[in-house]
Amino acid sequence: MIIRKLALPRRTILRGIGAAMALPFLDAMVPAFSTTVARAAGTPTRLGFFYIPNGAIMDSWTPAAVGTHFEFSPILQPLAPFKSQLLVLTGLSQKAADSIGDGNGDHSRATPAWLSAVHPKRTEGADVQGGVTADQLAARELGRSTQLASLELGMDANYLVGNCENGYSCVYMNTISWRTPTQPIPMENNPRIVFERMFGDGGSADARRSELRKNRSLLDSVTEEMARLQRTLGNGDRAKVNEYVEAVRDIERRIEQSETQSTRTALPDTLDRPVGIPETFEQHLALMYDLQVLAYQADITRVISFVLGRELSQRTYPLIGIADPHHGLTHHAGDKAKIEKVVKINTYHAQLFGHFLEKMRATPDGDGSLLDHSMILYGGGISDGNGHTHHNLPLLLAGGGGGQIKGGRHLKYENDTPMANLLVSMLDKAGVATERFGDSTGRLEHLSDI
Amino acid sequence: MRTRVLGGAGLLIGGVAWLQAAQAPPPATAERALVDQYCVGCHNDRRKTGGLSLEGTGLDNIPAHADTWEKVIRKLRSGAMPPEGMPRPAPPASAALVASLEATLDAAYAKAPNPGRTETFHRLNRTEYRNAIHDLLDLDVDVTSLLPADDVSYGFDNIAGVLGVSPVLLDRYTTAAQKISRMAVGSPAIPATADTFRVASDLPQDDHVEGLPFGTRGGLLVPYTFPLDAQYAFRVKIARDYTDSLAPFYEEHQVEVSIDGVRAQLFTVTPVAGRGARGRGDVDAGFEVRVGVTAGPHQVGVAFLKKTSALTEGQRLAPLRPAIGAGGDTRYQPYLGSVTISGPFDATGSGDTPSRRRIFICKPDQDSGLRTQGSGQGAAGPRAEPCARQILSTLARRAYRRPVTDADLQLLLDFYREGAGVGSERSGARPEEPRKRSEPSGVEGPPRVNVGGGGFQSGIELALRRLLISPAFLLRVEHDAANIAPTTAYRISDIELASRLSFFLWSTIPDDQLIDLAARGRLKDPAVLAQQVRRMLADRRSQALVSNFAGQWLYLRNLPAFRPDEELFPDFDDGLRQAFRQETELFFDSILHENRPALELLSANYTFVNERLARHYGIPNVYGSQFRRVALADNGRGGLLGQGSILAVTSYPTRTSPVVRGKWVLENLLGMPPPQPPPNVPALQENSEHTAALSVRERLEQHRSNPGCASCHKIMDPLGFALENFDAVGRWRDRGEDGAPIDASGALIDGTKLDGPATLRQALLRRPDDFVRTVTEKLLIYALGRGVEYYDEPAIRSIARDAGGAKSSLSGLIMGIVRSAPFQMRRT
Repeated sequence: MIIRKLALPRRTILRGIGAAMALPFLDAMVPAFSTTVARAAGTPTRLGFFYIPNGAIMDSWTPAAVGTHFEFSPILQPLAPFKSQLLVLTGLSQKAADSIGDGNGDHSRATPAWLSAVHPKRTEGADVQGGVTADQLAARELGRSTQLASLELGMDANYLVGNCENGYSCVYMNTISWRTPTQPIPMENNPRIVFERMFGDGGSADARRSELRKNRSLLDSVTEEMARLQRTLGNGDRAKVNEYVEAVRDIERRIEQSETQSTRTALPDTLDRPVGIPETFEQHLALMYDLQVLAYQADITRVISFVLGRELSQRTYPLIGIADPHHGLTHHAGDKAKIEKVVKINTYHAQLFGHFLEKMRATPDGDGSLLDHSMILYGGGISDGNGHTHHNLPLLLAGGGGGQIKGGRHLKYENDTPMANLLVSMLDKAGVATERFGDSTGRLEHLSDI
Repeated sequence: MRTRVLGGAGLLIGGVAWLQAAQAPPPATAERALVDQYCVGCHNDRRKTGGLSLEGTGLDNIPAHADTWEKVIRKLRSGAMPPEGMPRPAPPASAALVASLEATLDAAYAKAPNPGRTETFHRLNRTEYRNAIHDLLDLDVDVTSLLPADDVSYGFDNIAGVLGVSPVLLDRYTTAAQKISRMAVGSPAIPATADTFRVASDLPQDDHVEGLPFGTRGGLLVPYTFPLDAQYAFRVKIARDYTDSLAPFYEEHQVEVSIDGVRAQLFTVTPVAGRGARGRGDVDAGFEVRVGVTAGPHQVGVAFLKKTSALTEGQRLAPLRPAIGAGGDTRYQPYLGSVTISGPFDATGSGDTPSRRRIFICKPDQDSGLRTQGSGQGAAGPRAEPCARQILSTLARRAYRRPVTDADLQLLLDFYREGAGVGSERSGARPEEPRKRSEPSGVEGPPRVNVGGGGFQSGIELALRRLLISPAFLLRVEHDAANIAPTTAYRISDIELASRLSFFLWSTIPDDQLIDLAARGRLKDPAVLAQQVRRMLADRRSQALVSNFAGQWLYLRNLPAFRPDEELFPDFDDGLRQAFRQETELFFDSILHENRPALELLSANYTFVNERLARHYGIPNVYGSQFRRVALADNGRGGLLGQGSILAVTSYPTRTSPVVRGKWVLENLLGMPPPQPPPNVPALQENSEHTAALSVRERLEQHRSNPGCASCHKIMDPLGFALENFDAVGRWRDRGEDGAPIDASGALIDGTKLDGPATLRQALLRRPDDFVRTVTEKLLIYALGRGVEYYDEPAIRSIARDAGGAKSSLSGLIMGIVRSAPFQMRRT
């Protein structure tokens, strides 16, 4: 009820087509949090990994000049207002996504390899295998002091059939986050569920605390039950049980965490919460972005991975006049009209990402803004969608990283520099000491200097 | 507890199909000569074309190289090998080789079947979870707002190997268990929440909606489960487009909110000043009403009162979609946007709901009835614990799908006591020594809500919450038989068989009858099993085979995501989208439940339509919104290939795609999935003006001049081109998107000429074995929750053979799968 008093008048502000909407509940909660969130030490660094599907038209993505004095390319033009807190990174590759004898399946490899730099195993069966992803490594460390170790979010409905590559399980394209090499994490696209994961589903603080305590005792006994079950199984199956037990323990730890934290967060009135998946892409995306800002701001989590579109996405964008499905267009085979449409989609995504950055910049955090204390990687695991290449990927790094990232530059690296080097550096700067990762050969230089 | 009969599989399962196929293989010399002459030229140890050498692969021990020979069989059967342009054996010789290879492999399988190994853990997927909750608790839950979607492999989302358990998922299960258990028992602690139901922006709201009061138009009907006897708020919003504008209208309109058909409130929508201009006014400010509703499922309706001045159907040109946003809507009426139901507020009791009747099969004490919150008390009475025991053992037996052990029950009782506030927490205190309760027993007078928790009902709630996160509920576990060597085939237990059956045929937990039969060891009896399959197929739960199996196999599940371009297809709307799905579901249902041949899925000369769909197809004299069976005079429209659902989900939003349609036919009807396109498809001719003028057919022909593309496209494209007479929303057409006459001609890879849908259908019907085999394979994947492998091929062949080959009925194939080795057995 505190919320109500602080809330701005309820309204929907539209800033042109596709504009980010100020959602009533976000408006309401921002002031509520700025006074209630207190941190033990310093301002933490937030990490974000945002994935765009089907590659990009690289000619229109890559700025012509390098260094500080570059002109924004057509696709990146909407991000010009954030130049001082933006790095355009060119020349990085994710070789683990190459076929390496596995034949077709570039979309299925691009997704899991993006944050793991590990070549995924070609299979549809129980032997699905990728690599631990950078966001999950970060979550192990940065997640210790937050209610949720990380959030894994997406825009697509994964219930569709027939939209995966033969020989590869759909799971490879459904998520960019892998907790272990055998444990992919589902991406949630329903804002209502995301909200509930962050704040619970209502009731007084006391009631919620008591529910959490009950859950802990319930889960304790599930662990016991699994142990009994384990005794009846062969060795080969025990690993699976361990995975289950680990999952239970993980939640128990989270519960302990949130028992102290949940009392701080007041819930908005029932009617102001997200109710489900909005009908248009633009409304849906704005809502998902809002939730992410909120999650960072309230320090519910410091690590988010987000799939703006799943590989092979056939989404159309009627609001910008694109009636053809995205993936089909990217196999343009040189057709100029199709290339132009892909550029339009790429630009649109950048524009909407700009709305997110704007929110991050406008949200006070510690001695600056949320954006100052973030490192948001934006890009994809395919460069040219027509050629399915995983070299010279489209990548941006936004945010100040708590003073560790010097933006305003287009950095061009030697061709085929491992993207894993970038992931090593990001983890490192976020306080997750990392020497090697996937096929990394070291840290990525020049992120902090001229 | 688990006893198994072990030994040779042949001894074990008498009279089962696969025993009958064996016959002596013919001498191998003729085959060897044929293989050497036509295959080994490329498939030798040196060249290993396609990664395959047949040079050293002996024909004297075919079963030892079953993986290789099954590949050969598939390639020969499809006519794909030897490739075009290479010398080919005479068809009878090729067929003889196939027959001989199959006979040998099938005979070996009959002697020692390799049933494959299903995963030890098979997590319930989201659909199964929802159905299980329904069957266990008589409660409908919106599972999409509880659990994430499941990953798909091999075309289905019930594949055990990829149904993992992550912390995120377990977190969701924990939350779901909390919500479901308090909803099911009617816990007074349920907090107020809000649920919003939106109307699709392209749903026509001109006509009466089935189930809403007569004399209304449009709106929506929401089946909603109210958790408690309480007050609920209903908030109605009028539709707006993405610029926040209303559709234009000039007159007042009235919206009615009804519950179970009884009016709860009438709101008047007043046009925005400015005479019908597309306004942004708060026309629906204050459209909120609070009503007392009893707990349990009710139908909430929101609809406009029909105005006599509205244009009748016949006066409009085409049934254009409600043009929110697109302009040009001349109906001049407002549309419903959404309704939000929030509550409960001021709850008065748990009420009398189907869930409570299902759960509370006994009473904790004589005095407190179940009609009020009475079961919130009574945990102290001498009958309380026996009653809790009875309730929980009944629930656990169903949820765990097996007889309940004492350990199962003790664990649940511990939580019952904790929740009820009797005995020490989880210490197994004796029920005869109840602790103090928060409520005195036998309270009379006005119903009161026991907010403090505790009591009998709270005990059951907590135990149920524990049950719902039990691995025994969430996971189907198949234990290896004790004391057998690795990679040995053995028969699964009757209890495991009961679950396989019910998840295959019903997508849910077994019912009491199945568990009883299994517990008595009767289910494996072939006669009992067959009788159970027939019973289960006759049960309404077998509808899951339609919505879940066919929904995935035929891609019907993708229909909600099909959004054709508004300008090119202005008459496509949500009404048509729903009709598409319903047509194919009714059609599949009729083939399944009327024991019709599976091949009728392709050949049927009937379908199911309502007025909207009939108009779309050009079928005259069909009126009203209900579906009915109609005979088809039109030769092209019959079978799945003429149905709007299939034609739409294989199209782009702006046009048809012969490639996508061809691929769909190959993959789902012929069982020959093509590989993904190779990377770096070369650019078409640089002259883009020239290219732009080309038709899709010409572009694809150009495409096929590249050998890398041709190998697959020459198979796929003709299948799709034969369907070009159907546009992207499944309407018949004689001219294409470019205005040129449709050219639906082409040829199958075996040379069969095609020209239009009817010829494609005929061509497919001439290869009935391919289709029946494909249906069998898809059913087997779905039934087992794993991909099929080369070693399953003999089983697939024998299922189809025993069900009558080309004449196999769909239900016969299902029966065959249940009888097969992969379904009844498992490998350690």
